[in-house]
Amino acid sequence: MSTKIITPVREFADLLPQEYQDLVARGPYFEPKGIEDLGTFKEIIEEHPHCAGCGVSLGIRLVAASLPSPADTVIIGTPGCSFFGLTQTAVNYSNTAFGNQNAVASGLKRMLRIRYPDQHKDVVVLVGDGGIADIGLDLTLHSWFRREKVTTIMVDNEVYGNTGGQESGMSKQGQVLNMAPVGKQFPKIPVFEMAKVSGCAYAVRVTVASPRKVGRAVRNAILVAREIGPTYIQIYTPCPTNLKFPPNRTLEVAREAEKDYYAYEEFITEEAANYLARL
Amino acid sequence: MYAVAKVDTEKCTGCKLCILTCPDPNVFTFYKEVKKVAVNENRCKGCGLCAAACPKEALAVVSV
Ligand SMILES: Cc1ncc(C[n+]2csc(CCOP(=O)(O)OP(=O)(O)O)c2C)c(N)n1
Ligand code: SF4
Ligand SMILES: [Mg+2]
Repeated sequence: MSTKIITPVREFADLLPQEYQDLVARGPYFEPKGIEDLGTFKEIIEEHPHCAGCGVSLGIRLVAASLPSPADTVIIGTPGCSFFGLTQTAVNYSNTAFGNQNAVASGLKRMLRIRYPDQHKDVVVLVGDGGIADIGLDLTLHSWFRREKVTTIMVDNEVYGNTGGQESGMSKQGQVLNMAPVGKQFPKIPVFEMAKVSGCAYAVRVTVASPRKVGRAVRNAILVAREIGPTYIQIYTPCPTNLKFPPNRTLEVAREAEKDYYAYEEFITEEAANYLARL
Repeated sequence: MYAVAKVDTEKCTGCKLCILTCPDPNVFTFYKEVKKVAVNENRCKGCGLCAAACPKEALAVVSV
């Protein structure tokens, strides 16, 4: 994208909403920004209706701040809490029918390669655990088998947050939820392990309690997807509303999980590691 | 009743930890020259994650 597209003609500039003017004056499009710069530039995520203390919204905020080229990125979403934040984001965005995200992303990526043969256009899927592990599992896996050069990011709150608390394939075994009164009957689906054997060149499991690791993972994943192959990031983003803990404990919950079953893990193929080292 | 985070600028050392814990965008501003953060109260939802993270106890959630 040319930054000219978002720059208003001078005569009309002061008619635009303050948020838009801020984006033009201090947005992340003109020079590279990252996690470390948060607080000093206008973020591309806009006000949204996520609950106070929502791990998912922290996850999407950290991802949005880590995009290497926001102006040349298309985010693909699907129903879930995440898309309430994403639809108001100042980046190219496409919503999809629930679960279809990786099929839509594959098509868009191929089309963008043809339309812009000399430029990188980053296609990033950013959706919930239900969207990937349940309804979209087949389309996600097949996009990896086909080696589609797309980055897939799961914001894993271990529940269907958006629809009031049904169990997801990523809920923990035994987890009781509003609409899972006897507790979930089987373990978390090992999507991270599947990514490693299904064609992903880079995969990271991380939590929102480690924002710098999230930032590095997002950057690496997007760069690797430009040249090498599919990439996957799974971020633990606890949901205070459905897991019923106070909203000021979200990071504590994530940190506890990090010490237990959600330890940081990075998987990278030799080809991807060599490629990143050359950059 | 609404709740928002307030910064005690005497205690804030500008470590920016709060900025990395806030789930909502464009709430915190970092002022490099004075090494302090400021909260946009219109955007704050009062969750208290910043206050839980602040090592200097410079942030508190208060009702407004
Ligand atoms: C085809 C279809 N089935 C069901 C729904 C209803 N629905 C919307 S969001 C959602 C669950 C989302 O869960 P998850 O992907 O974990 O995202 P979260 O809300 O937890 O962030 C469901 C079942 C839908 N929108 N479309
Ligand atoms: S229900 Fe949970 S995941 Fe959804 S916005 Fe609220 S805290 Fe976030
Ligand atoms: Mg979910």
